[in-house]
Amino acid sequence: MNWIKIASVDQIAADESLAIEVQGKQLALHQCDDELFITDNVCTHQYALLSDGFLEDGCIECPLHQAKFDLRTGQAMCAPATVGVQTYPVKTEGQDIFVAL
Amino acid sequence: MYQSQSVIGQTVGSKDAALADCAWPAEGLDAIPDWVYTSQEVYDREMERIFHGDTWNYVALETEIPNPGDYKRSFVGATPVVVSRAQDGSLHVFENRCAHRGAEFCRHSHGNANEFVCPYHQWSYDLKGNLQGVPFKRGVNKAGGMPRDFRNEDHGLRKLNVTTHHGVVFASYSDKVEPIEQYLTPEILEDFNVAFPGKPLKILGYYRNEVPCNWKMYHENLKDPYHATLLHSFLVVFGLLVAGNKSMMLADSKHGRHGIMGSAKTDDLYAAVSEETKKEMRSFNDGMRLRDERFLEFIKEFDSPWSVTMQTVWPNLVVQREMNTMGVRQIIPNGPNSMIMEWTMFGYADDTEEMTRHRLRQGNLMGPSGFLGLEDNEAMKFVQEGVRRSSSNVNVIKLDSGKIGTSESLISEAAIRAMYQYYRGVMDF
Repeated sequence: MNWIKIASVDQIAADESLAIEVQGKQLALHQCDDELFITDNVCTHQYALLSDGFLEDGCIECPLHQAKFDLRTGQAMCAPATVGVQTYPVKTEGQDIFVAL
Repeated sequence: MYQSQSVIGQTVGSKDAALADCAWPAEGLDAIPDWVYTSQEVYDREMERIFHGDTWNYVALETEIPNPGDYKRSFVGATPVVVSRAQDGSLHVFENRCAHRGAEFCRHSHGNANEFVCPYHQWSYDLKGNLQGVPFKRGVNKAGGMPRDFRNEDHGLRKLNVTTHHGVVFASYSDKVEPIEQYLTPEILEDFNVAFPGKPLKILGYYRNEVPCNWKMYHENLKDPYHATLLHSFLVVFGLLVAGNKSMMLADSKHGRHGIMGSAKTDDLYAAVSEETKKEMRSFNDGMRLRDERFLEFIKEFDSPWSVTMQTVWPNLVVQREMNTMGVRQIIPNGPNSMIMEWTMFGYADDTEEMTRHRLRQGNLMGPSGFLGLEDNEAMKFVQEGVRRSSSNVNVIKLDSGKIGTSESLISEAAIRAMYQYYRGVMDF
């Protein structure tokens, strides 16, 4: 896999999300219950950034209309979203966080 | 009319009576006081007790919104609503008012949508009127946002009850109103089913016009067979309704609030009227002829003794079946002195192309600029101006006095009395 360094662990606090741009893609890095996840950052319902959203129960909730996406699978969990978001593999090495596109 | 002869928008102060000053005249049902047409307080009570009360209000034809996501804007009384078909095919009616700040969020007269989003703050609602999403509900950066106990379920759109009968959609604010078939009563239902036998309809077009009169006058006009041969030259000249034709003025036997005016034309294209009768009929004109006689062809397609029935379904629907011209008219009250009439003309999905042409051609009979109907609008405007601006206060309803409800004679106001008997009960007058 082609791992790309995107952030360091001190940039993201517990239960927060961070907007990152990698190779022209808008991604969101989430830390939920001490675990890291990466998803597309733009909601599939209307234009809103999931990195401004709310983390709860392993899901990211869109700030605009509260569509929820499963952080592990990207699946749309409730209306108004019907299409899921893409998820990406993530790993840490020391202080560094990597994504594989 | 010259502008100087018309004082637009003025009601004599005493005619805009407070409810406490509204006492029905001693003549009882032989009289209608002017304040039923001119008082804002009376109008407000009508909205509350009639249109938002135990009634079914016409809102749409199912064929206007056949697919999931289809919607149209409509009205219940003067209240704007949206009629919507959800993904599961069910029909929903809700107020066109965002639960947040009251914006009329739905801006198109009809369309197809996955959801409704208010343009002001982007609150979004599903096709059933449930609140789906509130932007920045959780605030930003853990600051602001809705309180923790804010539940979307408590902040949906105001929903109405919905029912249908043979493709006609009705809505109600009441949980107590009876099923639509009972509401219509057996005698009205029978004729309703002639126009709406349950087969798919085809929309032919719309008219929309304002009539500067009180909404009740439209009901009264269709419960008043007396005016028909006097006002409508066309009816008489072309034999659609001539004094002596078989006819009826029916009021429903339960409340007297719905009605049917019906008549049967003879097979002659032009009326044969005796010299004696002509003298009595100012509206008769021997010389009038049609340029295109196909206009009045009557294709017998209904199992009914009547060539025309005009149904009034309380409180906001008129079903028109004039020969082969079919339509529903929705009455939208617009304050005491105005109403909007929304006409939806239709045929049936299985009509041949030729039949559709015929219905469209014959559609010129009625409508805001039709051969008949135009005069009704004008006459009712005259009445509204008269009752707003005069110093006397009472309308005389004495034809066929003593009779209330259905009458055999066309020279009768028995159906108007039946409607006001019911109205006074609901309104406590």
